[in-house]
Amino acid sequence: MTRIADDHKGTSHLLMGNEAIARGALEAGVSVAAGYPGTPSSEIISTLAKVPKEHNLYVEWSTNEKVAMEVAAAASFAGLRSMCVLKQNGVNVAADFLLHLSGSGTRGGIIIVPCDDPGALSSINEGESRHFARLLEIPLLEPGNFQEAKDMTKWAFELSEEIRNLVMVRSVTRLSHASGNVIFGELPKEAPRAFFKHDGFILDPMEGIVVSVPVSYRHGQQHEKLKKSIEIFETSPFNIYTGPDNPELLIITASVCDLYTREAVHILGLQDRVGVLKLGTTWPLPPKLMEKVMGRTDKILIIEEVIPFLEENVKILASELAPKIGIKTFFGKRDGSLPMAGELNPDLIISVLVKIFSMRYESMPSSYAEKAETYALKAAPARDLTFCPGCPHRASFWSIHNVLKMDNQEGFVCGDIGCYSLATLPTGFMSLKTMHSMGSGTGVASGFGKLDQFGMEQPILSVCGDSTFFHSVMPALVNAVHHKSNITVVVLDNSGTAMTGFQPHPGLKVDARGNEAPNIDIQAVCEAIGAKVKTSDPFDFDGTQKALFDLLEDKEGVKVLILKQICALSPEKKEKKMFEMSVNIEECLGQSCGCNRLCTRIFRCPGLVWDKDNQTARIDEAICTGCGVCANICPSGAIKKEEVA
Amino acid sequence: MQISGSNELVEQILKNDLCVACGACVGLCPYFKVYRGKVAMTFPCDLTQGRCYAYCPKTEVDYDNLSQTFYGKPYQGSALGEYRRIAASRAGDKMISGPFQNGGTVSALMTLALKTGMIDAAVLTDSDGLIPVPRLITKEEEVVQCASAKYVASPTLSCVNKGVEEGYDRIGVVGTPCQMTAVAQMKCNLLDKADFKDPIAFTVGLFCTWALDFRTFVDFLSDRLDLSTICSMDIPPPPAEVLIVKTADKDIEIPLSDIRPLVLKGCSVCPDMTAEWADVSVGAYEGKPGWNTLIIRSEKGEVMVDEAVKEGFLIVDELPALNLAHLIQGADGKKRRARENIEKAAAGNDSERNKQPAVTENWKMSSFQ
Repeated sequence: MTRIADDHKGTSHLLMGNEAIARGALEAGVSVAAGYPGTPSSEIISTLAKVPKEHNLYVEWSTNEKVAMEVAAAASFAGLRSMCVLKQNGVNVAADFLLHLSGSGTRGGIIIVPCDDPGALSSINEGESRHFARLLEIPLLEPGNFQEAKDMTKWAFELSEEIRNLVMVRSVTRLSHASGNVIFGELPKEAPRAFFKHDGFILDPMEGIVVSVPVSYRHGQQHEKLKKSIEIFETSPFNIYTGPDNPELLIITASVCDLYTREAVHILGLQDRVGVLKLGTTWPLPPKLMEKVMGRTDKILIIEEVIPFLEENVKILASELAPKIGIKTFFGKRDGSLPMAGELNPDLIISVLVKIFSMRYESMPSSYAEKAETYALKAAPARDLTFCPGCPHRASFWSIHNVLKMDNQEGFVCGDIGCYSLATLPTGFMSLKTMHSMGSGTGVASGFGKLDQFGMEQPILSVCGDSTFFHSVMPALVNAVHHKSNITVVVLDNSGTAMTGFQPHPGLKVDARGNEAPNIDIQAVCEAIGAKVKTSDPFDFDGTQKALFDLLEDKEGVKVLILKQICALSPEKKEKKMFEMSVNIEECLGQSCGCNRLCTRIFRCPGLVWDKDNQTARIDEAICTGCGVCANICPSGAIKKEEVA
Repeated sequence: MQISGSNELVEQILKNDLCVACGACVGLCPYFKVYRGKVAMTFPCDLTQGRCYAYCPKTEVDYDNLSQTFYGKPYQGSALGEYRRIAASRAGDKMISGPFQNGGTVSALMTLALKTGMIDAAVLTDSDGLIPVPRLITKEEEVVQCASAKYVASPTLSCVNKGVEEGYDRIGVVGTPCQMTAVAQMKCNLLDKADFKDPIAFTVGLFCTWALDFRTFVDFLSDRLDLSTICSMDIPPPPAEVLIVKTADKDIEIPLSDIRPLVLKGCSVCPDMTAEWADVSVGAYEGKPGWNTLIIRSEKGEVMVDEAVKEGFLIVDELPALNLAHLIQGADGKKRRARENIEKAAAGNDSERNKQPAVTENWKMSSFQ
């Protein structure tokens, strides 16, 4: 494995995009890195967290993205280079602070690295961070490959210091999580010192106070800085044109779409007819470069994922430049050539080019394509999105579902982001009825809980994870308690930020770098806020359900149930079975049991399978984690657990 | 008669608020559960036929089939159903003393049935404060603990299913008319199972005009008194028109007109006041506290009563003609009201309720006319 912080100047290494970004930051001499876990961004901070202590880095998993941005900003104010890493939704969380930060300006080089997720492969929306660059009026850089991921990250710090403001380096899933060769540069030798100058002339950006007022003065300065970045962008080596001098079609693209574009052009053999402008600096666009390239042709295709951000900015410039470059015909998202939603791929781009050039192209014979589709539907086994074997969430939602059904007042659960989002699906017995941003389950529940004056009598629950509790549930809980909202908050405490890979959070006794850290007790916090709190082990159905029934019967104010059980995939638990599980096939009544296959039809732990030959349930020993929970659900008591010595 | 599955049971009965929480479907499978007097299905089941649907007294009941099975003739629709004789009765000297709601006839019969081994377990309704608690008992001395009227729906039959599960095969059941209807259907092998055995040996039905919804009744009483102080409840015979709630230090009278809105919707379409499908049916004796009215229906019921009299567990006397007339009048009235409510619901002009019981086509009006 490559040691990311080793010098190795000039050598080539296979790196994941996120590792390349981390290396770029190290080569830039970053001192402080903060973030909140979120796929596809998480490996940047975890990579930096593993950098040996002699490099004198400070790395933290912050409580949430806004705090992470604030932590990084402080380092910049003290003259250090710093970065904040988050997924696209995290930019929304940090947005309030960001707008103030871009107004106040910065000192040491500081970058924000959002990793977007076109196609929402690991997200519940396709939110974009690019438009934040325009909103915040800061430069936006988009690496198009792994080498650029490193090089542009390093350059972004220099640019930030040049303009004394924040710079955004935006990645996407297919860059962050794919791997490619990266040639290392030099690591800096000097050890920077932190000092915050604050008693200079009040308007001095390097020695005065760091504020965004007087607004029109500072805002004006910010625009001067933007003009400066445009100048720099005009000659940036990250904006590359390849193709004939006067192509029939000009493609303007950025990020990983450049790779898809080049592949499509190559497959169709259009290298002599199509020119490709790959932009690395996508906002603000450099007008002179754009004039020169757009002047080469009459037809322009803009290729990008999700919103037509680049397309709109290009079109604004094109209309301004029309007297010089003439009227262009545009293809892209707004004319329907490319979809507004989802990821792109070479095939999609091929289909657009084929149309524009009136070509015939078949990636595979249609008869083959038809057959492949039929067999795929017939032969591929259907696979649910599901909680892992032994997941405490399955047990928690089993109790929540049963209690709400038995309570029989059409109660429901409001949820948010975490593995437990899967409870919208059969694996969580479809318990979640609303699901929005981090912490919103409890906020939404707090609102539902005040609708009694309009005749609403349904019991209201919310769920949140332990990391989410600290991230953004606490303000919602305070709100609910203060306003006497009649709700029950269930904290699904699996002892880590499990979905993104067990990053620590303030509830644990360890920090991002593995140092011992004071932990904050969720129960004590809830009690201090004024909620009535019960704790249970979700693997104990009787205890959990009794606690939940009790809390539901209490119609006064906010109740909290903490369901504490470590994630089945956590390093502490992995490959350690508590119980050896088995099905007694004499006792399993199979189809003649009145249960109609409760274990494999309803409970559906992947560790339980239906044995078609025997017509009984069976344990899949390869994936069973030995949690023992299913022994409590079989009405015939045919599922046995035996404690592992 | 179409026997469907649990999905139809949920759609036709639970979702239309026709469920009277008799408990017949509870415990047959892992999905029907009861909590605070309400039956719920926790997960869907895709079986097209189920005992849950077959036993339910609120889905279509084939009265002709029941009557043919138990009495060898089509259903007549008379006010009191089939019976051999009607008498007045009370517990005899051999029976340990109450307190009983009335004459202790039910306790006496069940105690003797357990004592003689006619039944190997008894399904009764105990109470925890206001909450009716279904009990499966095997000891004679436990019978008396369950003696008292509850007035709220109790999922007692869940204990029949529990008893069968535990291997009892001569179970005695005490229950309301809807519960006796469900039990009658449990005895009929409606699903034609090859290995079917009737697990029920003796049934005692209780007269009933309606039952209250547990949850709304608890809310209603909590607004008026401390629930933990309640000792017992009684509805004296007409013309009192009150429910008397006895607490440690006083009796509270609540007009029945205040209580009636809390009656289960499913009760409004029930045609049976005297538990027509039980071996014997027992109710109050109008104007004579400490005595019961006893309807002996089946041969088994008659043998049991005769035995009880012989053994000193029961004292039987004649029921005056006027009492019988009143009983018939009451039972006829319940049939008439049920018919009217079904007609109203079928016509969709039920103005008394904002959510009318949607009576399905399965309801045969003629069944109990």
